[in-house]
Amino acid sequence: MGCAVAKARFSINRLPGFGLIAVATFVMLYLPIIILVVFSFNAGVSQSHWDGFSLRWYQAAFNNSQVRDVSLRSLWLAVTAASFATILATLAALGTTRVGRFPGQTMIYALINQPLMVPEIVTGIALLIFVAAIKVQTGYTGMGYLVAAHTAFCIPFAYLPIRARLETLDHALEAAAADLYASPIQAFRYITLPLMVPGILAGFMLGFVISLDTVVITEFVKSAGQDTLPTYMLGQLRRAVTPEMNAIATLFLALSLMIVTAFFFITRTRGR
Amino acid sequence: MSQEIEITGLNKSFGQGAAAFHALSAIDLTIATGEFFTLLGPSGCGKTTLLRIIAGFEEPSTGALRINGKEVTGLGPDKRPINTVFQSYALFPHMSVAQNIGFGLKMLRKPKSEIKATVAEMLQLVRMEAMADRLPSEISGGQQQRVALARALAPRPRVLLLDEPLSALDLKLRKEMQSELKRLQTETGITFVFVTHDQEEALTMSDRIAVMSAGEILQLGPPQEIYNAPVNRFVADFIGDTNFLSLRVKAIKAGEAVLELPGGKQASARLPASISPSVGSRVTAVIRPEQAEPTPAGQGEMQAIVESATFFGTDTHLHLLLDDAQGFVLRRQNRPDQPSPAPGTNLGLTFAPGALRVLED
Ligand SMILES: Nc1ncnc2c1ncn2[C@@H]1O[C@H](COP(=O)(O)OP(=O)(O)OP(=O)(O)O)[C@@H](O)[C@H]1O
Ligand SMILES: [Mg+2]
Repeated sequence: MGCAVAKARFSINRLPGFGLIAVATFVMLYLPIIILVVFSFNAGVSQSHWDGFSLRWYQAAFNNSQVRDVSLRSLWLAVTAASFATILATLAALGTTRVGRFPGQTMIYALINQPLMVPEIVTGIALLIFVAAIKVQTGYTGMGYLVAAHTAFCIPFAYLPIRARLETLDHALEAAAADLYASPIQAFRYITLPLMVPGILAGFMLGFVISLDTVVITEFVKSAGQDTLPTYMLGQLRRAVTPEMNAIATLFLALSLMIVTAFFFITRTRGR
Repeated sequence: MSQEIEITGLNKSFGQGAAAFHALSAIDLTIATGEFFTLLGPSGCGKTTLLRIIAGFEEPSTGALRINGKEVTGLGPDKRPINTVFQSYALFPHMSVAQNIGFGLKMLRKPKSEIKATVAEMLQLVRMEAMADRLPSEISGGQQQRVALARALAPRPRVLLLDEPLSALDLKLRKEMQSELKRLQTETGITFVFVTHDQEEALTMSDRIAVMSAGEILQLGPPQEIYNAPVNRFVADFIGDTNFLSLRVKAIKAGEAVLELPGGKQASARLPASISPSVGSRVTAVIRPEQAEPTPAGQGEMQAIVESATFFGTDTHLHLLLDDAQGFVLRRQNRPDQPSPAPGTNLGLTFAPGALRVLED
């Protein structure tokens, strides 16, 4: 009996108020999003008064050439930056797991992950100053800055799943490949790389979502006319907020959900 | 016969300085072409480490390693005409059974038709034809082991290293694979270096056995020699069952010791060159359980009383107590006309000259 009492005491979901806190947390997390989605279908211009169902704001968003431009720029930037970041993160993961221990290994590991710990605003301001100096020196104001900044920012996010995947890979497999006359390059091509694919895909998707999502980095680095979807939306919010914003946000949300779901299934089915 | 593998003065330690661990010490070994050579020893004695050095996954700390007359130190595993059956199988999880088996040939850039034919032949050899298209995660542990064997054999290496390849198989399949391996080895003429800690497997399959303990080779020789003339207590204990007797030396002459048996009779036993006990001291002597025979009480070399009997099907192990209270196990073949003696029965023991041996401790 003492045991049963002890068990009851140790179970967190029996604490008084547990249910209340849980419900409150979910309400905080999801209610605003649900309201946002619901009012994207509002026929009127209000964010608080329901005037009937309509797709007019979606139509408006699709017909808004600015929205189209910034969306395409966001996607292009996310794909480009995530691709570079994935390649670099893959090399970094190989370097930190597939060669023998070398002096300074822990240091390098910490350095790679450091961006996860530096506040984004600090990175943003640092980039602003740095990029401004280069812009003055070279006169170049293209997308290169955004690509470079997003790539650097995405590397640690891409690195984590790739490294995790590599660490679960048995070294004996590469040894077996070498034993069966595979050169180091062949062993990588036929054994290590195919087995890394789930980690690489996961890394790419994480990088993609992070790049798509970041406001701060983009805001500080972009030149004129280089708004991405998040910075464009932020700019629009300073003016009147019509349900068109809700519609854009809902589409953005749907895209993110699709990517996260794909991510989940890829790591589930291929991550044996 | 030519020498396939020559190892001289090989040492291997892991770690450095005070923390260094000596996994292998002063290994000298030559393995002949076409030989079935077995490394036998308890867990952790360095068997896998020695195989890894031969395969090229590990470099020796000191010493030389020649394969087919050629010094191979510094050559990677992909440059040595050697294949390994890994203790953990190490099958490629993303490739089918057939692709696993064909991998070595593919790396050697053999024509597709040849790869296909060899893979089919290997599948048949290990009786896995029906599972050619399965992934390693979709077959049993024993089947994985057979695929690992087929994968290592497919490129027809000069030397095949097998790290406990049969340990996951059930007894029947294991016996089948043992004779299959042996047949394969004789047919192909490939040199086998076989690791096991199963002494019976080692005795039945090997041309020669190296008994290892704590990184050293204690004894090297054909199975009969290892079994009949173990050099020390460890080898005698590790290979087969043995009765150890502590006996007093009565006299020493020309490489033989005259020993006092329990009960007072004397018997002579050959002394190994490595030990020279003084008269009056005690030495360890051994007799294999099947090399002694029961006689009627009062006759024979020693007298004993039956404590218990354990039935083993073909034979019965009689646990005896000798006159001076030392234990002794006697193996007696079961015959319907001769029931085994009941506990409490007195009997005598006799043994052939040469069955009693003095051992280094
Ligand atoms: N890379 C390593 N670093 C440090 N010690 C090692 C290393 N590899 C092996 N050892 C040690 O060397 C000793 C021999 O290991 P080995 O794997 O050769 O044993 P084994 O005879 O194959 O044993 P088993 O029958 O259990 O497979 C062990 O004590 C092991 O802990
Ligand atoms: Mg081992």
